[in-house]
Amino acid sequence: MAVASISSNRPFDHRIFAVEHQRRRARWRSAAIAGTVTLLAAICLYNILVIDTDWERMGSLGEVLTSIGRFLAVDFELIPHLVEPIIETLMMSALGTALGAILCIPVIWLGALNITPSRWIGYPIGRMMMTLSRSIHEIVWALVFVSAVGLGSLAGILALAMRSIGFIAKIIAEAIENVDPKPIEAIRAVGGNRLQVLRYGIVPQVLPVAIGVIIFEWDINIRRSAVMGLVGAGGLGLTFHRQMVMFNYPGVTTVILAILLLIILGEALSYYARKAVI
Amino acid sequence: MPILDVQDLTVRYSRTGPEILKGVSLQVDAGDFCAVIGPSGAGKSTLIRCINRLVEPISGRILLYGEDVTTMPTRRLRETRRHIGMIFQEFNLVNRMSVMDNVLSGRLGSVGTMRSLFKLFSREDIERALTLLDRVGLSDHVDKRADQLSGGQRQRVGIARALMQDPKLLLVDEPTSSLDPKIAREVMTLIRDVAREFNVPALVNIHDVQLATEFCNKIIGLQGGVKMFDGPTEKLDRKMLETIYAMEVL
Repeated sequence: MAVASISSNRPFDHRIFAVEHQRRRARWRSAAIAGTVTLLAAICLYNILVIDTDWERMGSLGEVLTSIGRFLAVDFELIPHLVEPIIETLMMSALGTALGAILCIPVIWLGALNITPSRWIGYPIGRMMMTLSRSIHEIVWALVFVSAVGLGSLAGILALAMRSIGFIAKIIAEAIENVDPKPIEAIRAVGGNRLQVLRYGIVPQVLPVAIGVIIFEWDINIRRSAVMGLVGAGGLGLTFHRQMVMFNYPGVTTVILAILLLIILGEALSYYARKAVI
Repeated sequence: MPILDVQDLTVRYSRTGPEILKGVSLQVDAGDFCAVIGPSGAGKSTLIRCINRLVEPISGRILLYGEDVTTMPTRRLRETRRHIGMIFQEFNLVNRMSVMDNVLSGRLGSVGTMRSLFKLFSREDIERALTLLDRVGLSDHVDKRADQLSGGQRQRVGIARALMQDPKLLLVDEPTSSLDPKIAREVMTLIRDVAREFNVPALVNIHDVQLATEFCNKIIGLQGGVKMFDGPTEKLDRKMLETIYAMEVL
């Protein structure tokens, strides 16, 4: 009986058929997915590019190139007026980062699982604050603070601080969750209280991480502060915006070059700062 | 009255977990240098950590100078821990702090919180720390960072930190397991000598039977959370060791 069923082809045929059927279905599914994606892309292209673009105003290809060409110059007269915004941008980024580093302390305290005062209320709130801070773009934060405290660097500093909290807090909180428990045990054994455990058992362990992430965040904040002015929050971005509305295209290029210079400068500064600390 | 009187101690790490200690009782008297021996997993570390309640027992009593540690409220517990010096297998130093700060951290239980947050220790504390570092032979390493020292030196820092507390009892958890045999012997000698000098009884976890019989006047043998032996070192014979370790002892 067993021998007969092995020599018979019929169950095997059935399996071949099943495999073929499965493959046919998979092919259909791929085709359906590809078709849907193409259709959606076409709808998007039509609605966003074909309908929304002002084709008449764009004119010919030559005119487009001429428009771009207007940017290919540098306005040397503008350079003396850039010194102050550059310094302002640097200070804004430094102050924003510093404020963010201070404000993130309570967030870390809530959001690190092993030191949080309450696992069920404090911890989720801390984590939520970290996510909220990171998920809102710095320009949006800047818009919020410009409307709250008015135009100028203060709005930029506050926006950078709010945007920085999330990343700094998250990295430090995770470092705290991964500390070596042995020194903590020793501090508890000598009769240390919670604050002393924090100061002697945890802070020395996470300090290098904390300093590293703050310098890194400052590096990023230099970039961010360069565009803060686009929404009126001071710094180089404001100069950029002014040149743009005055149609001074070489001036725009000059500001962009200044931003580039500043970012390279910041990169170098943060590199040496990190090296000095760690 | 014994200095430490442990009665019927039972420990479980979770409600349904296995019992790590099953009704262990023991006593430590003034002048005792008492070893707790037994194979890995016998519950030695758990036992020693119960005494200052780094591990919470589920039942039993721990009387230290007649006062029950197991029922103390947090504040009183911290005051009690202040008087119990602890020396650890892996030293448990704060690696990124200086040797001096590590030794001074032994005073944390007695220094005000605000002062301690800024490392403001009194002149007497610093003087005492220097004296102790001289005693353990680390006069030349005071300002080094703890992680720059060798294993034996780190354990000496751990010893100085425990002595900094002016302890009334020393809990010593496998002080030599992270050290090579020669350094292990030196460290054991140092711990025994300072225990005598400071007139403080000690309870020492140690799996090395040779060191235990050589240094300790009293031995407690644990196996699987049950006390198998309790008596002066002279009474511990080969047969008993075989029972404790459930194997042939060389």
